[in-house]
Amino acid sequence: DGVAVLPPPYNLSVQSTNMKHLLTWSPVSVPGEIIHYFVEYQGEYESLYMSHVWIPSSWCSPAKGPECDITDDITATVPYNLRVRATQGSETSAWSTLKHPFNRNSTILTPPVMEITKDGFHLVIKLEDLGPQFEFLVAYWRREPGAKEHVKVVRSRGIPVHLETMQPGAAYCVKVRTFVKAIGRHSPFSQAECVKVQGETLPL
Amino acid sequence: HLAEDTSDLLQHVKFQSSNFENIVTWDSSPESAPDTVYSVEYKKYGEREWLAKEGCQRITRKSCNLTVETGNLMELYYARVTAVGAGGRSATKMTDRFSSLHHTTIKPPNVTCIPKVRSIQMIVHPTSTPIHTGDGHQLTLEDIFHDLSYHLELQVNHTYLMHLGGKQREYEFIGLTPDTEFLGTIRIFVPTLLKESAPYVCQVKTLPDRTWT
Amino acid sequence: QEFQFGPCRVEGITLQELWDAFWAIKDIVQAKDNITSVRLLRKEILQNVSDAESCYLIHALLKFYLNTIFKNYHDKAADFRVRKSFSTLANNFVVLLSKLQPSQENKRFSGHDSARRRFLLFQRAFKQLDIEAAQTKALGEVDILLTWMEKFYHL
Repeated sequence: DGVAVLPPPYNLSVQSTNMKHLLTWSPVSVPGEIIHYFVEYQGEYESLYMSHVWIPSSWCSPAKGPECDITDDITATVPYNLRVRATQGSETSAWSTLKHPFNRNSTILTPPVMEITKDGFHLVIKLEDLGPQFEFLVAYWRREPGAKEHVKVVRSRGIPVHLETMQPGAAYCVKVRTFVKAIGRHSPFSQAECVKVQGETLPL
Repeated sequence: HLAEDTSDLLQHVKFQSSNFENIVTWDSSPESAPDTVYSVEYKKYGEREWLAKEGCQRITRKSCNLTVETGNLMELYYARVTAVGAGGRSATKMTDRFSSLHHTTIKPPNVTCIPKVRSIQMIVHPTSTPIHTGDGHQLTLEDIFHDLSYHLELQVNHTYLMHLGGKQREYEFIGLTPDTEFLGTIRIFVPTLLKESAPYVCQVKTLPDRTWT
Repeated sequence: QEFQFGPCRVEGITLQELWDAFWAIKDIVQAKDNITSVRLLRKEILQNVSDAESCYLIHALLKFYLNTIFKNYHDKAADFRVRKSFSTLANNFVVLLSKLQPSQENKRFSGHDSARRRFLLFQRAFKQLDIEAAQTKALGEVDILLTWMEKFYHL
Protein backbone atom coordinates (compact mmCIF):
# COMPACT_ATOMS: atom_id res chain seq x y z
CA ASP A 1 0.00 0.00 0.00
CA GLY A 2 1.01 3.64 -0.73
CA VAL A 3 2.00 5.64 2.30
CA ALA A 4 -1.10 7.35 3.80
CA VAL A 5 -0.26 11.00 3.06
CA LEU A 6 -3.61 11.84 1.52
CA PRO A 7 -6.31 12.73 4.10
CA PRO A 8 -9.16 10.21 4.23
CA PRO A 9 -12.71 11.11 3.16
CA TYR A 10 -14.99 11.99 6.10
CA ASN A 11 -18.64 12.53 7.00
CA LEU A 12 -19.70 9.22 5.48
CA SER A 13 -23.45 8.68 5.41
CA VAL A 14 -26.06 6.64 3.54
CA GLN A 15 -29.27 8.08 2.10
CA SER A 16 -31.71 5.30 1.23
CA THR A 17 -35.09 5.83 -0.38
CA ASN A 18 -37.28 3.15 -2.00
CA MET A 19 -34.48 0.60 -1.79
CA LYS A 20 -31.99 2.83 -3.66
CA HIS A 21 -28.99 3.29 -1.40
CA LEU A 22 -26.51 6.13 -1.91
CA LEU A 23 -23.30 6.40 0.11
CA THR A 24 -21.93 9.96 0.27
CA TRP A 25 -18.92 11.60 1.93
CA SER A 26 -17.13 14.90 2.15
CA PRO A 27 -14.61 15.07 -0.70
CA VAL A 28 -10.86 15.21 -0.31
CA SER A 29 -9.45 18.16 -2.22
CA VAL A 30 -5.88 18.67 -3.36
CA PRO A 31 -5.57 21.74 -5.59
CA GLY A 32 -4.91 20.81 -9.19
CA GLU A 33 -5.08 17.07 -8.55
CA ILE A 34 -7.66 14.48 -9.55
CA ILE A 35 -8.86 12.39 -6.63
CA HIS A 36 -10.51 8.99 -7.01
CA TYR A 37 -12.28 7.00 -4.33
CA PHE A 38 -12.55 3.27 -3.65
CA VAL A 39 -15.54 1.87 -1.78
CA GLU A 40 -15.69 -1.53 -0.11
CA TYR A 41 -18.36 -3.33 1.91
CA GLN A 42 -18.79 -6.30 4.22
CA GLY A 43 -22.04 -7.86 5.31
CA GLU A 44 -22.82 -9.40 8.67
CA TYR A 45 -21.40 -12.72 7.44
CA GLU A 46 -18.03 -11.20 6.62
CA SER A 47 -17.86 -9.21 9.83
CA LEU A 48 -18.88 -12.23 11.94
CA TYR A 49 -16.94 -15.01 10.22
CA MET A 50 -14.02 -13.27 8.48
CA SER A 51 -13.63 -9.66 9.47
CA HIS A 52 -10.50 -9.22 7.32
CA VAL A 53 -12.60 -9.69 4.16
CA TRP A 54 -13.91 -6.61 2.39
CA ILE A 55 -15.52 -6.69 -1.05
CA PRO A 56 -15.02 -3.93 -3.66
CA SER A 57 -18.25 -2.11 -4.50
CA SER A 58 -19.73 -2.96 -7.89
CA TRP A 59 -19.73 0.56 -9.28
CA CYS A 60 -17.18 2.51 -7.26
CA SER A 61 -13.83 0.88 -7.69
CA PRO A 62 -12.97 3.65 -8.40
CA ALA A 63 -15.52 6.46 -8.12
CA LYS A 64 -14.76 9.93 -9.41
CA GLY A 65 -17.08 11.92 -7.17
CA PRO A 66 -17.89 11.87 -3.44
CA GLU A 67 -20.81 9.44 -3.77
CA CYS A 68 -21.49 5.82 -4.62
CA ASP A 69 -24.66 3.92 -5.53
CA ILE A 70 -24.32 0.82 -3.38
CA THR A 71 -27.77 -0.59 -4.23
CA ASP A 72 -26.38 -3.60 -6.11
CA ASP A 73 -24.02 -4.42 -3.26
CA ILE A 74 -26.63 -4.57 -0.52
CA THR A 75 -28.29 -7.91 -1.28
CA ALA A 76 -29.39 -9.18 2.13
CA THR A 77 -31.32 -7.68 5.01
CA VAL A 78 -28.35 -7.58 7.37
CA PRO A 79 -26.13 -4.75 8.70
CA TYR A 80 -23.39 -3.77 6.21
CA ASN A 81 -20.12 -2.07 7.08
CA LEU A 82 -18.90 0.39 4.43
CA ARG A 83 -15.56 2.10 3.97
CA VAL A 84 -14.01 4.58 1.54
CA ARG A 85 -10.49 5.71 0.80
CA ALA A 86 -9.07 8.35 -1.56
CA THR A 87 -6.32 7.88 -4.08
CA GLN A 88 -4.29 10.36 -6.08
CA GLY A 89 -1.83 8.76 -8.40
CA SER A 90 0.09 6.29 -6.25
CA GLU A 91 -0.85 7.99 -3.03
CA THR A 92 -3.58 6.40 -0.97
CA SER A 93 -5.41 7.67 2.09
CA ALA A 94 -6.37 5.59 5.10
CA TRP A 95 -9.78 3.94 5.07
CA SER A 96 -12.69 5.87 6.49
CA THR A 97 -15.51 3.63 7.80
CA LEU A 98 -19.23 4.41 8.13
CA LYS A 99 -19.89 4.99 11.82
CA HIS A 100 -23.03 2.84 12.04
CA PRO A 101 -23.58 -0.24 9.82
CA PHE A 102 -26.32 0.23 7.21
CA ASN A 103 -29.30 -2.14 6.97
CA ARG A 104 -31.65 -1.86 4.00
CA ASN A 105 -34.66 -2.34 6.23
CA SER A 106 -34.16 1.30 7.23
CA THR A 107 -34.88 2.55 3.72
CA ILE A 108 -37.51 5.31 3.44
CA LEU A 109 -40.57 4.10 1.52
CA THR A 110 -42.49 6.94 -0.12
CA PRO A 111 -46.09 6.83 -1.31
CA PRO A 112 -45.91 5.84 -5.00
CA VAL A 113 -46.78 8.20 -7.83
CA MET A 114 -49.87 7.05 -9.72
CA GLU A 115 -51.82 8.33 -12.74
CA ILE A 116 -55.51 7.55 -12.98
CA THR A 117 -57.27 7.73 -16.37
CA LYS A 118 -60.35 6.20 -17.92
CA ASP A 119 -61.16 4.79 -21.31
CA GLY A 120 -64.89 4.46 -21.74
CA PHE A 121 -66.00 2.44 -18.73
CA HIS A 122 -62.45 1.22 -18.01
CA LEU A 123 -60.64 2.62 -14.98
CA VAL A 124 -56.93 2.62 -15.81
CA ILE A 125 -53.95 3.12 -13.48
CA LYS A 126 -50.32 3.79 -14.30
CA LEU A 127 -47.68 3.32 -11.58
CA GLU A 128 -44.05 4.44 -11.51
CA ASP A 129 -41.37 1.79 -12.03
CA LEU A 130 -39.57 1.29 -8.71
CA GLY A 131 -37.83 -1.93 -9.64
CA PRO A 132 -38.42 -5.67 -9.23
CA GLN A 133 -38.51 -5.65 -5.42
CA PHE A 134 -41.74 -3.62 -5.31
CA GLU A 135 -45.35 -4.72 -5.39
CA PHE A 136 -48.18 -2.20 -5.49
CA LEU A 137 -51.28 -2.66 -3.34
CA VAL A 138 -54.02 -0.72 -5.11
CA ALA A 139 -57.17 0.02 -3.10
CA TYR A 140 -60.23 1.29 -5.01
CA TRP A 141 -63.86 1.83 -4.16
CA ARG A 142 -67.03 3.27 -5.56
CA ARG A 143 -67.66 6.66 -4.01
CA GLU A 144 -70.97 6.08 -2.30
CA PRO A 145 -71.99 5.40 1.31
CA GLY A 146 -71.02 1.95 2.55
CA ALA A 147 -69.05 1.13 -0.54
CA LYS A 148 -66.68 -1.85 -0.22
CA GLU A 149 -62.97 -1.28 -0.71
CA HIS A 150 -61.31 -3.62 -3.23
CA VAL A 151 -57.59 -4.36 -3.17
CA LYS A 152 -55.51 -5.56 -6.10
CA VAL A 153 -51.78 -6.42 -6.19
CA VAL A 154 -50.26 -4.91 -9.30
CA ARG A 155 -46.78 -5.81 -10.46
CA SER A 156 -46.77 -4.17 -13.89
CA ARG A 157 -44.32 -1.33 -13.63
CA GLY A 158 -44.56 1.81 -15.70
CA ILE A 159 -47.31 0.35 -17.93
CA PRO A 160 -50.95 1.54 -17.74
CA VAL A 161 -53.14 -1.27 -16.43
CA HIS A 162 -56.92 -1.76 -16.38
CA LEU A 163 -58.16 -1.76 -12.82
CA GLU A 164 -61.95 -2.03 -13.05
CA THR A 165 -64.89 -1.79 -15.44
CA MET A 166 -66.97 1.08 -14.00
CA GLN A 167 -70.72 1.43 -13.81
CA PRO A 168 -72.19 4.36 -15.80
CA GLY A 169 -72.59 7.57 -13.77
CA ALA A 170 -70.63 6.26 -10.77
CA ALA A 171 -67.49 7.85 -9.28
CA TYR A 172 -64.52 5.70 -8.30
CA CYS A 173 -61.62 6.54 -5.99
CA VAL A 174 -58.16 4.96 -5.92
CA LYS A 175 -55.18 5.01 -3.57
CA VAL A 176 -52.00 2.92 -3.65
CA ARG A 177 -49.05 1.92 -1.51
CA THR A 178 -45.97 -0.17 -2.12
CA PHE A 179 -44.82 -3.38 -0.44
CA VAL A 180 -41.20 -4.58 -0.40
CA LYS A 181 -40.95 -8.32 0.18
CA ALA A 182 -37.25 -8.33 1.04
CA ILE A 183 -37.77 -6.15 4.11
CA GLY A 184 -41.45 -6.89 4.75
CA ARG A 185 -42.50 -3.25 4.89
CA HIS A 186 -45.20 -1.05 3.26
CA SER A 187 -45.05 2.59 2.25
CA PRO A 188 -47.76 5.02 3.38
CA PHE A 189 -50.79 5.24 1.07
CA SER A 190 -50.77 7.84 -1.66
CA GLN A 191 -53.38 10.58 -1.74
CA ALA A 192 -56.66 9.17 -3.09
CA GLU A 193 -57.75 10.24 -6.58
CA CYS A 194 -61.30 9.98 -7.92
CA VAL A 195 -62.77 9.84 -11.42
CA LYS A 196 -66.31 9.79 -12.67
CA VAL A 197 -67.44 8.05 -15.80
CA GLN A 198 -67.92 10.71 -18.49
CA GLY A 199 -66.42 13.23 -16.09
CA GLU A 200 -62.95 14.69 -15.26
CA THR A 201 -60.78 13.79 -12.27
CA LEU A 202 -62.52 15.21 -9.23
CA PRO A 203 -60.69 16.93 -6.39
CA LEU A 204 -61.16 15.11 -3.07
CA HIS B 1 5.36 -36.01 -25.57
CA LEU B 2 2.89 -33.19 -26.01
CA ALA B 3 -0.80 -34.18 -26.02
CA GLU B 4 -2.20 -33.60 -29.52
CA ASP B 5 -4.72 -30.69 -29.74
CA THR B 6 -8.04 -32.28 -30.75
CA SER B 7 -10.30 -29.37 -29.75
CA ASP B 8 -11.29 -28.94 -33.39
CA LEU B 9 -13.09 -32.30 -33.26
CA LEU B 10 -15.53 -31.36 -30.49
CA GLN B 11 -16.87 -28.09 -29.04
CA HIS B 12 -19.81 -26.69 -27.02
CA VAL B 13 -21.13 -30.00 -25.67
CA LYS B 14 -24.29 -29.01 -23.80
CA PHE B 15 -27.85 -29.88 -22.92
CA GLN B 16 -30.70 -27.97 -24.52
CA SER B 17 -34.08 -28.51 -22.91
CA SER B 18 -37.55 -27.27 -23.73
CA ASN B 19 -40.70 -28.58 -22.00
CA PHE B 20 -38.49 -31.39 -20.62
CA GLU B 21 -37.37 -32.53 -24.08
CA ASN B 22 -33.67 -32.89 -23.27
CA ILE B 23 -31.25 -32.89 -26.21
CA VAL B 24 -27.45 -32.98 -26.07
CA THR B 25 -25.88 -30.96 -28.85
CA TRP B 26 -22.30 -30.24 -29.87
CA ASP B 27 -20.22 -28.62 -32.58
CA SER B 28 -16.98 -29.23 -34.35
CA SER B 29 -14.78 -26.73 -36.09
CA PRO B 30 -15.13 -26.27 -39.85
CA GLU B 31 -11.70 -27.86 -40.39
CA SER B 32 -12.71 -31.15 -38.80
CA ALA B 33 -13.29 -34.03 -41.22
CA PRO B 34 -16.91 -34.72 -42.24
CA ASP B 35 -16.53 -38.41 -41.50
CA THR B 36 -15.95 -37.80 -37.80
CA VAL B 37 -18.19 -40.07 -35.72
CA TYR B 38 -19.61 -39.35 -32.28
CA SER B 39 -20.66 -41.53 -29.35
CA VAL B 40 -22.73 -40.36 -26.40
CA GLU B 41 -22.76 -41.55 -22.80
CA TYR B 42 -24.65 -40.27 -19.77
CA LYS B 43 -24.89 -40.81 -16.02
CA LYS B 44 -26.52 -39.47 -12.88
CA TYR B 45 -24.49 -37.04 -10.81
CA GLY B 46 -23.15 -39.06 -7.88
CA GLU B 47 -22.88 -42.35 -9.75
CA ARG B 48 -19.66 -43.85 -11.02
CA GLU B 49 -20.67 -45.67 -14.21
CA TRP B 50 -21.19 -44.03 -17.60
CA LEU B 51 -23.93 -45.60 -19.71
CA ALA B 52 -23.81 -45.68 -23.50
CA LYS B 53 -26.84 -44.13 -25.15
CA GLU B 54 -28.30 -46.61 -27.59
CA GLY B 55 -28.90 -45.02 -30.96
CA CYS B 56 -26.18 -42.44 -30.45
CA GLN B 57 -23.09 -44.59 -30.95
CA ARG B 58 -20.72 -43.70 -33.84
CA ILE B 59 -23.25 -41.26 -35.33
CA THR B 60 -22.36 -38.42 -37.68
CA ARG B 61 -25.13 -36.01 -36.63
CA LYS B 62 -24.38 -33.54 -33.80
CA SER B 63 -27.28 -34.07 -31.45
CA CYS B 64 -28.75 -36.84 -29.36
CA ASN B 65 -32.09 -37.07 -27.58
CA LEU B 66 -31.63 -38.05 -23.92
CA THR B 67 -35.16 -37.18 -22.79
CA VAL B 68 -35.98 -40.63 -21.49
CA GLU B 69 -32.62 -41.20 -19.88
CA THR B 70 -32.65 -37.87 -18.03
CA GLY B 71 -36.32 -37.93 -17.09
CA ASN B 72 -36.07 -38.10 -13.28
CA LEU B 73 -36.82 -34.59 -12.05
CA MET B 74 -35.08 -35.11 -8.72
CA GLU B 75 -31.80 -36.17 -10.32
CA LEU B 76 -28.91 -34.25 -11.85
CA TYR B 77 -27.10 -35.62 -14.87
CA TYR B 78 -23.97 -35.41 -16.95
CA ALA B 79 -23.55 -36.42 -20.58
CA ARG B 80 -20.31 -36.77 -22.47
CA VAL B 81 -19.49 -37.08 -26.16
CA THR B 82 -16.52 -38.80 -27.71
CA ALA B 83 -15.55 -37.78 -31.23
CA VAL B 84 -13.32 -40.02 -33.36
CA GLY B 85 -11.88 -38.43 -36.49
CA ALA B 86 -9.64 -39.45 -39.31
CA GLY B 87 -6.51 -41.28 -38.31
CA GLY B 88 -8.03 -42.29 -34.97
CA ARG B 89 -7.74 -38.82 -33.50
CA SER B 90 -10.31 -38.52 -30.70
CA ALA B 91 -11.66 -36.05 -28.14
CA THR B 92 -14.08 -36.41 -25.24
CA LYS B 93 -16.00 -33.57 -23.63
CA MET B 94 -18.62 -33.46 -20.85
CA THR B 95 -21.66 -31.22 -20.39
CA ASP B 96 -22.17 -29.01 -17.36
CA ARG B 97 -24.19 -30.59 -14.55
CA PHE B 98 -27.77 -30.72 -15.83
CA SER B 99 -31.05 -30.47 -13.95
CA SER B 100 -34.05 -30.56 -16.26
CA LEU B 101 -36.21 -28.96 -13.58
CA HIS B 102 -34.05 -25.85 -13.57
CA HIS B 103 -32.73 -25.80 -17.10
CA THR B 104 -35.80 -26.56 -19.18
CA THR B 105 -37.38 -23.58 -20.89
CA ILE B 106 -41.14 -23.44 -21.23
CA LYS B 107 -42.75 -23.12 -24.64
CA PRO B 108 -45.71 -20.81 -25.18
CA PRO B 109 -49.01 -22.31 -23.98
CA ASN B 110 -51.60 -23.59 -26.43
CA VAL B 111 -54.58 -21.21 -26.27
CA THR B 112 -57.91 -20.70 -28.03
CA CYS B 113 -59.03 -17.05 -28.25
CA ILE B 114 -62.78 -16.63 -28.83
CA PRO B 115 -64.02 -13.11 -29.65
CA LYS B 116 -67.56 -12.10 -28.65
CA VAL B 117 -69.38 -8.73 -28.93
CA ARG B 118 -68.14 -7.12 -25.70
CA SER B 119 -65.65 -9.68 -24.47
CA ILE B 120 -62.90 -12.08 -25.48
CA GLN B 121 -62.72 -15.56 -23.99
CA MET B 122 -59.39 -17.36 -23.69
CA ILE B 123 -59.08 -21.09 -23.03
CA VAL B 124 -55.65 -22.41 -22.11
CA HIS B 125 -55.05 -26.06 -23.00
CA PRO B 126 -52.82 -28.22 -20.77
CA THR B 127 -49.27 -28.83 -21.99
CA SER B 128 -48.19 -32.45 -21.86
CA THR B 129 -44.54 -33.37 -21.30
CA PRO B 130 -42.47 -36.49 -22.02
CA ILE B 131 -42.26 -37.13 -18.26
CA HIS B 132 -44.20 -40.13 -16.97
CA THR B 133 -44.95 -41.36 -13.45
CA GLY B 134 -43.97 -44.83 -12.36
CA ASP B 135 -47.34 -46.19 -13.45
CA GLY B 136 -46.98 -44.69 -16.93
CA HIS B 137 -49.21 -41.64 -16.42
CA GLN B 138 -48.00 -38.79 -18.67
CA LEU B 139 -47.45 -35.56 -16.71
CA THR B 140 -48.47 -32.06 -17.78
CA LEU B 141 -46.57 -28.91 -16.83
CA GLU B 142 -49.27 -28.25 -14.23
CA ASP B 143 -48.62 -31.65 -12.66
CA ILE B 144 -44.89 -30.89 -12.41
CA PHE B 145 -44.94 -27.26 -11.29
CA HIS B 146 -47.34 -26.92 -8.34
CA ASP B 147 -47.12 -23.11 -8.37
CA LEU B 148 -47.62 -22.81 -12.15
CA SER B 149 -49.96 -20.00 -13.13
CA TYR B 150 -51.08 -18.28 -16.33
CA HIS B 151 -50.59 -14.55 -16.99
CA LEU B 152 -52.91 -13.05 -19.60
CA GLU B 153 -52.70 -9.54 -20.98
CA LEU B 154 -54.95 -7.75 -23.43
CA GLN B 155 -53.60 -4.63 -25.05
CA VAL B 156 -56.36 -2.04 -25.47
CA ASN B 157 -55.86 0.45 -28.34
CA HIS B 158 -52.10 0.49 -27.71
CA THR B 159 -52.49 2.56 -24.54
CA TYR B 160 -53.09 0.22 -21.64
CA LEU B 161 -53.23 -3.41 -20.61
CA MET B 162 -55.91 -5.51 -19.05
CA HIS B 163 -54.59 -8.28 -16.79
CA LEU B 164 -56.04 -11.61 -15.84
CA GLY B 165 -54.26 -14.53 -14.27
CA GLY B 166 -54.42 -17.55 -12.06
CA LYS B 167 -54.33 -21.34 -12.10
CA GLN B 168 -57.63 -21.96 -13.88
CA ARG B 169 -57.75 -22.48 -17.67
CA GLU B 170 -60.69 -20.32 -18.70
CA TYR B 171 -60.61 -16.52 -18.69
CA GLU B 172 -62.73 -13.73 -20.17
CA PHE B 173 -61.84 -10.09 -20.70
CA ILE B 174 -65.12 -8.17 -20.38
CA GLY B 175 -66.35 -4.63 -20.91
CA LEU B 176 -64.78 -4.31 -24.37
CA THR B 177 -65.81 -2.17 -27.29
CA PRO B 178 -67.54 -4.10 -30.12
CA ASP B 179 -65.94 -4.47 -33.56
CA THR B 180 -62.47 -3.53 -32.27
CA GLU B 181 -59.00 -5.11 -32.64
CA PHE B 182 -57.24 -6.39 -29.52
CA LEU B 183 -53.86 -8.07 -28.98
CA GLY B 184 -53.77 -10.87 -26.42
CA THR B 185 -50.61 -12.42 -24.93
CA ILE B 186 -50.63 -15.43 -22.64
CA ARG B 187 -47.63 -16.74 -20.69
CA ILE B 188 -46.95 -19.62 -18.32
CA PHE B 189 -45.29 -18.51 -15.10
CA VAL B 190 -43.51 -20.62 -12.44
CA PRO B 191 -42.51 -18.17 -9.68
CA THR B 192 -40.38 -20.34 -7.42
CA LEU B 193 -38.18 -21.47 -10.31
CA LEU B 194 -38.25 -18.00 -11.88
CA LYS B 195 -39.52 -19.52 -15.15
CA GLU B 196 -41.63 -17.64 -17.64
CA SER B 197 -42.61 -18.96 -21.08
CA ALA B 198 -42.44 -17.04 -24.29
CA PRO B 199 -45.89 -15.57 -25.01
CA TYR B 200 -48.67 -17.11 -27.05
CA VAL B 201 -50.08 -14.18 -29.04
CA CYS B 202 -53.55 -13.86 -30.54
CA GLN B 203 -54.86 -10.91 -32.51
CA VAL B 204 -58.66 -10.83 -32.32
CA LYS B 205 -61.49 -8.49 -33.21
CA THR B 206 -64.66 -8.27 -31.11
CA LEU B 207 -67.87 -8.93 -33.06
CA PRO B 208 -69.99 -6.06 -34.31
CA ASP B 209 -72.94 -5.17 -32.05
CA ARG B 210 -76.05 -5.98 -34.13
CA THR B 211 -78.53 -5.46 -31.27
CA TRP B 212 -80.17 -2.36 -32.76
CA THR B 213 -79.73 -3.13 -36.48
CA GLN C 1 -43.56 -14.81 1.21
CA GLU C 2 -41.94 -16.85 3.91
CA PHE C 3 -40.27 -20.14 4.76
CA GLN C 4 -42.16 -22.49 7.03
CA PHE C 5 -39.87 -25.30 8.21
CA GLY C 6 -42.29 -27.10 10.46
CA PRO C 7 -42.59 -24.90 13.55
CA CYS C 8 -39.92 -22.48 12.30
CA ARG C 9 -41.16 -19.53 10.30
CA VAL C 10 -38.77 -17.16 8.47
CA GLU C 11 -39.69 -13.95 6.67
CA GLY C 12 -37.55 -11.41 4.83
CA ILE C 13 -35.73 -13.79 2.54
CA THR C 14 -36.39 -13.44 -1.17
CA LEU C 15 -35.67 -16.80 -2.78
CA GLN C 16 -35.07 -15.03 -6.08
CA GLU C 17 -32.07 -13.19 -4.63
CA LEU C 18 -30.56 -16.52 -3.55
CA TRP C 19 -31.14 -18.12 -6.95
CA ASP C 20 -29.78 -15.08 -8.79
CA ALA C 21 -26.65 -15.24 -6.64
CA PHE C 22 -26.17 -18.98 -7.21
CA TRP C 23 -26.80 -18.86 -10.98
CA ALA C 24 -24.05 -16.25 -11.23
CA ILE C 25 -21.47 -18.72 -9.82
CA LYS C 26 -22.97 -22.11 -10.71
CA ASP C 27 -20.96 -22.89 -13.83
CA ILE C 28 -17.69 -21.56 -12.38
CA VAL C 29 -17.97 -23.57 -9.17
CA GLN C 30 -19.47 -26.77 -10.61
CA ALA C 31 -16.82 -26.83 -13.35
CA LYS C 32 -14.19 -27.02 -10.58
CA ASP C 33 -15.87 -30.11 -9.12
CA ASN C 34 -14.57 -32.96 -11.23
CA ILE C 35 -15.61 -35.74 -8.83
CA THR C 36 -18.83 -36.45 -10.71
CA SER C 37 -19.21 -39.83 -9.03
CA VAL C 38 -19.95 -38.36 -5.60
CA ARG C 39 -23.00 -36.37 -4.54
CA LEU C 40 -23.02 -35.00 -0.96
CA LEU C 41 -26.69 -34.00 -0.68
CA ARG C 42 -27.94 -37.39 -1.81
CA LYS C 43 -31.59 -38.17 -2.25
CA GLU C 44 -31.87 -40.13 0.99
CA ILE C 45 -30.76 -37.05 2.91
CA LEU C 46 -33.39 -34.65 1.55
CA GLN C 47 -36.26 -36.90 0.45
CA ASN C 48 -39.41 -37.28 2.55
CA VAL C 49 -38.21 -34.93 5.28
CA SER C 50 -41.09 -34.42 7.71
CA ASP C 51 -42.08 -31.00 8.97
CA ALA C 52 -40.87 -31.97 12.43
CA GLU C 53 -37.41 -32.75 11.07
CA SER C 54 -37.15 -29.86 8.62
CA CYS C 55 -36.23 -27.08 11.05
CA TYR C 56 -33.49 -29.13 12.72
CA LEU C 57 -32.09 -30.25 9.37
CA ILE C 58 -31.99 -26.84 7.69
CA HIS C 59 -30.47 -25.35 10.86
CA ALA C 60 -27.68 -27.94 10.88
CA LEU C 61 -27.02 -27.62 7.15
CA LEU C 62 -26.90 -23.80 7.13
CA LYS C 63 -24.62 -23.75 10.17
CA PHE C 64 -22.28 -26.21 8.43
CA TYR C 65 -22.30 -24.20 5.23
CA LEU C 66 -21.47 -20.98 7.09
CA ASN C 67 -18.83 -22.42 9.40
CA THR C 68 -17.13 -24.99 7.23
CA ILE C 69 -17.83 -24.30 3.58
CA PHE C 70 -18.22 -20.59 3.03
CA LYS C 71 -15.75 -19.61 5.74
CA ASN C 72 -12.78 -21.35 4.15
CA TYR C 73 -13.77 -20.86 0.53
CA HIS C 74 -14.30 -17.10 0.55
CA ASP C 75 -10.60 -16.21 0.37
CA LYS C 76 -10.08 -18.48 -2.58
CA ALA C 77 -12.92 -16.85 -4.50
CA ALA C 78 -10.66 -14.52 -6.46
CA ASP C 79 -13.20 -13.86 -9.18
CA PHE C 80 -15.00 -10.70 -8.15
CA ARG C 81 -18.36 -11.95 -9.42
CA VAL C 82 -17.97 -15.08 -7.31
CA ARG C 83 -17.12 -13.05 -4.19
CA LYS C 84 -20.14 -10.81 -4.64
CA SER C 85 -22.55 -13.74 -5.17
CA PHE C 86 -20.88 -15.56 -2.36
CA SER C 87 -21.51 -12.67 -0.04
CA THR C 88 -25.18 -12.55 -1.02
CA LEU C 89 -25.64 -16.27 -0.33
CA ALA C 90 -23.70 -16.18 2.93
CA ASN C 91 -25.44 -13.10 4.31
CA ASN C 92 -28.89 -14.46 3.46
CA PHE C 93 -27.92 -17.75 5.13
CA VAL C 94 -26.94 -15.69 8.21
CA VAL C 95 -30.42 -14.11 8.23
CA LEU C 96 -32.08 -17.50 7.83
CA LEU C 97 -29.99 -19.08 10.59
CA SER C 98 -30.67 -16.21 12.96
CA LYS C 99 -34.42 -16.61 12.51
CA LEU C 100 -34.50 -20.40 12.71
CA GLN C 101 -35.07 -21.35 16.33
CA PRO C 102 -35.55 -25.15 16.46
CA SER C 103 -37.04 -25.62 19.87
CA GLN C 104 -34.51 -27.00 22.30
CA GLU C 105 -36.90 -28.51 24.83
CA ASN C 106 -38.52 -31.07 22.52
CA LYS C 107 -35.19 -32.38 21.20
CA ARG C 108 -36.33 -35.68 22.63
CA PHE C 109 -38.88 -35.97 19.84
CA SER C 110 -38.21 -37.98 16.69
CA GLY C 111 -37.78 -34.89 14.50
CA HIS C 112 -34.46 -34.03 16.02
CA ASP C 113 -32.91 -37.49 15.99
CA SER C 114 -33.86 -38.40 12.43
CA ALA C 115 -32.78 -34.95 11.23
CA ARG C 116 -29.48 -35.52 13.01
CA ARG C 117 -29.03 -38.86 11.22
CA ARG C 118 -29.68 -37.20 7.84
CA PHE C 119 -27.17 -34.45 8.57
CA LEU C 120 -24.53 -36.96 9.66
CA LEU C 121 -24.91 -38.79 6.32
CA PHE C 122 -24.05 -35.51 4.62
CA GLN C 123 -21.19 -34.68 6.98
CA ARG C 124 -19.69 -38.18 6.65
CA ALA C 125 -19.72 -37.94 2.85
CA PHE C 126 -18.11 -34.50 3.14
CA LYS C 127 -15.31 -35.79 5.36
CA GLN C 128 -14.48 -38.62 2.99
CA LEU C 129 -13.21 -36.12 0.43
CA ASP C 130 -10.20 -33.84 0.46
CA ILE C 131 -11.33 -30.67 2.28
CA GLU C 132 -10.96 -28.32 -0.67
CA ALA C 133 -12.68 -30.72 -3.09
CA ALA C 134 -15.46 -31.20 -0.53
CA GLN C 135 -15.96 -27.44 -0.09
CA THR C 136 -16.09 -26.90 -3.84
CA LYS C 137 -18.56 -29.78 -4.23
CA ALA C 138 -20.78 -28.58 -1.38
CA LEU C 139 -20.84 -25.07 -2.82
CA GLY C 140 -21.76 -26.48 -6.22
CA GLU C 141 -24.65 -28.33 -4.59
CA VAL C 142 -26.35 -25.20 -3.23
CA ASP C 143 -28.89 -25.61 -6.05
CA ILE C 144 -29.87 -28.98 -4.58
CA LEU C 145 -30.24 -27.30 -1.17
CA LEU C 146 -32.29 -24.39 -2.57
CA THR C 147 -34.52 -26.77 -4.55
CA TRP C 148 -35.30 -28.64 -1.32
CA MET C 149 -35.84 -25.37 0.58
CA GLU C 150 -38.38 -24.30 -2.04
CA LYS C 151 -40.76 -26.95 -0.80
CA PHE C 152 -41.02 -24.97 2.43
CA TYR C 153 -41.40 -21.57 0.72
CA HIS C 154 -44.87 -20.09 0.59
CA LEU C 155 -45.69 -17.18 -1.77
